[in-house]
Parts: sequence; structure tokens; C-alpha cells
Amino acid sequence: MNTSQRPIARKAGLVIQEVPDEVLVYDLETNKAHCLNQSAAIIWRSCDGNNTVSDIAKLVGAQAGGKVTEDFVWLAIDQLSENRLLEKEITVNFEGRSRREALKKIGLATMVAVPVIASLVAPQSALAASSCACVSPGDCLAQTTCPSTTNCNGAGVCAP
Amino acid sequence: MTDELRWYLIAKKRTEGLIASAFRKLRDEGIEPILIKGWAAARNYPDVKPRFLGDIDLAVAADDFERATRLVEDPDSGIIGVDLHRELRRLDTVDWATLFANAELVTIDGEDVRVLAPEDHLRVMCVHWLTDGGESKERLWDIYYAVQNRPASFDWAKCLEVVEPNRRGWIKATIGLANRYLGLGIDDLPFAEEARCLPAWLTRCVEREWKSELPMRPMETVIDDAGSLMTEVRRRIPPNPIQATVNCEGIFDDRSRIPYQIRDLFMRARPSIKRVFQGMLIRMRR
Repeated sequence: MNTSQRPIARKAGLVIQEVPDEVLVYDLETNKAHCLNQSAAIIWRSCDGNNTVSDIAKLVGAQAGGKVTEDFVWLAIDQLSENRLLEKEITVNFEGRSRREALKKIGLATMVAVPVIASLVAPQSALAASSCACVSPGDCLAQTTCPSTTNCNGAGVCAP
Repeated sequence: MTDELRWYLIAKKRTEGLIASAFRKLRDEGIEPILIKGWAAARNYPDVKPRFLGDIDLAVAADDFERATRLVEDPDSGIIGVDLHRELRRLDTVDWATLFANAELVTIDGEDVRVLAPEDHLRVMCVHWLTDGGESKERLWDIYYAVQNRPASFDWAKCLEVVEPNRRGWIKATIGLANRYLGLGIDDLPFAEEARCLPAWLTRCVEREWKSELPMRPMETVIDDAGSLMTEVRRRIPPNPIQATVNCEGIFDDRSRIPYQIRDLFMRARPSIKRVFQGMLIRMRR
């Protein structure tokens, strides 16, 4: 893997909400929501285009209070890239291992929580609200399963 | 933390961005709005209780309404999800200048956003809930938390004494419903006994509404489906007694609601038919 790469976190088109121990990210383009645990969030924030993977590993180690390998950072970058949370897609090769195998190896080698990016499942209450019926565009905001979350068309449906 | 709460926090953050942006853009045009309901109601909720946010309700002075409407309807304005109100119309009888003078500024996303004073907002939320016929038990929590988490400086006289006795009765009854059905503590309120004395028709009405699985839909949104249209017509006849009383500025007492319902039926029939025909015309032109 190219350790001289300097990944850049995507900021445009995202709603970012920081909560204790997590960062919640909503992608306005894909209408998908992600939950970054603390390790993933630190790595994501460190992706400023200046830090190399090696730099990021040191930063995470310092902030999380434990030694962190570059593979640990790559594991996060792989997930960030897959979820379109980086400016440019980065293909990560864990030396022929699957991500699951790499995760196992990294997890055993560190005391710091491995970086995890989980997709959020739409809650029942949100799904129940997703009849796609609307009177004004605001009715569509929370109806994330409808064709549009911003437009209420002439037929009273959240769709273009 | 549950995924439901995470979704709520994301939706809230997104809404806050849209609110701040709407205020900035309206201010650029010299229009000063007041944020009502939605996010302003959610402020009173505890952090762990999600209050899903719908559209962004902004009230503006009558003189600014047309300009604000043009801006909100302009797809290039960048204002999204705003439901614009010409002052507060039926929701309150206190004049706009007074409401505006009482209003408070809160900072959202770096923008100072104007919200109604807690006393004014509670009154407006109660009336809004009633104008919807009390159909949403979920929204009654807005009243619950507005009362339970009211600031120490909350002045009941500023909330109640500024409106006519009938409206005062509506507010007390709505708080009484939050007490009866959601367990809101009202022992310390100056009108606790009065709030507990709810007319039988009122409790019957909300219990019937809450059993109904679907909320009432605007007639113009169902004109393509004869079955749904008939369902919506049937749901409006006889008129909801809460809506009928409020629409007629009536009193919440133990007497029959029939006179209000008859009057309300005639008052609403004409605009309803007009909206349906307008909706049909729009579809025919497409």
C-alpha cells in the first residue's frame, strides 16, 4: 500500500453531527447515513490532504491513547472510501487478505477500538412516516425512502 | 444510543442548517421571520426523546409576505422546506408587533434565529394542535414538554391574559388533555382544577381521532382516487367538533357541538370545493 498517500475527507454534501464517542454522517447525495466510531472519526478528521497514513497513525495513537499501526488506518480508509466519505476513492489492498481477516489481525494487535463505520438503518417511525404524501417540500425532509427528500410535486408526492 | 435517536440527531442537524440558511437569505432581503412549531417545539424536548421534524414553519409580517413567498418559491433561492405563514393568522389573536417584540433570539448554525417567547409559543402550539382536530397524540407531547420544561421566568398571565376567554379555555383544555393522556404534572399550575375538567365531547373526540390509523389528508391531494376522496369527505362530515369549535371561535364547555359543526360545515365547504376544483384543473392542464 502506498503510505505516502494523503487522503482528503469529503465535506461537501454531507450533514455531520458529532455526538459523544461517535460522528454521524448523512450523505445528501445518496440519502445514506453512517455512524463512525471514535477511531474512524479521528482518522476521518485527520484526512486533511496534508497527513500521510503514517502521520494519521501517530495522531490516532496519541488521541486514542495506544499504539496504532498503518494497517489500522488503512482499515478505516477502506471503509471511508467505500462509503464515499473521501474526496477521491482509494483502493486498499490488505496484502491479499480480506477486510474481515485484516480486521481480525488488527483487532488482536491493538488496545484501541478498531475503526468501524456502520450504516444506519432507517427507524420504524421514519419508515412509517414515509408514505411519500406531502403538502409542502418540508414534509419530504424526513421521508428518506421517497424519490425526493426536497420536492413535493403537484400530485402531493415527495418526488421530482 | 439507538438508531432512531441517531436518525433524529441527523435530521435535526440538517434542519438546523436549512433554518439558518433560510434566515440568512430572508434577512438579505430585509425580511425578519419568526420560527414557529417544529424545531422551536423540539427545543423543549429532552435530548433522548426524538421529535421528528417536518417542514420549517416561518411566519413573516403581512407586509413582507408576498416578497418572502416569491423568494421561498424561487428554486434558485436555496431556501428549502419552508412553509411560510402570513403572521400567525388564526393561530393567535395577539398582534404581530407584540409577538415580534416578545420574541427571542437563539443561535442555530451561527445564525441568530428568532423564536416566539415561551408564553406565546405555548399558546400558538395549543391552538395549532386544536386546529388539526387533536388528531395527533404524538404532537400533544409538544404541549407536554413546553409546559414541563418551561423556563423559571414563564409568566402564565403573559400566556393567557392576552387573549379572549374562549381562547384561554382552549389552552387550558389542551394542557388538561396532556395531563390526562400523557401524565403531565399540572398541580403547580394556577388553573389546574379548570384544566382537569374536560368536556366529555373533547375526550371522546381525541380518543376517536387517535384510533384512526391514517391522518386526515388534504382533499386536493386525493382527487385522483375516488375511493380516497370519498373517505376524506366522510371524515369531514360531521366536522371534527374540536376544529368546528375553534374555527367558530367557540367556547369549550359541556354543551352540544352541533351548532358549531353546522356553522363550520358551511364555512369550510366553499373553500374545500374550490381547492378540489383547482387541483383538478392543474391535473387537466398537465
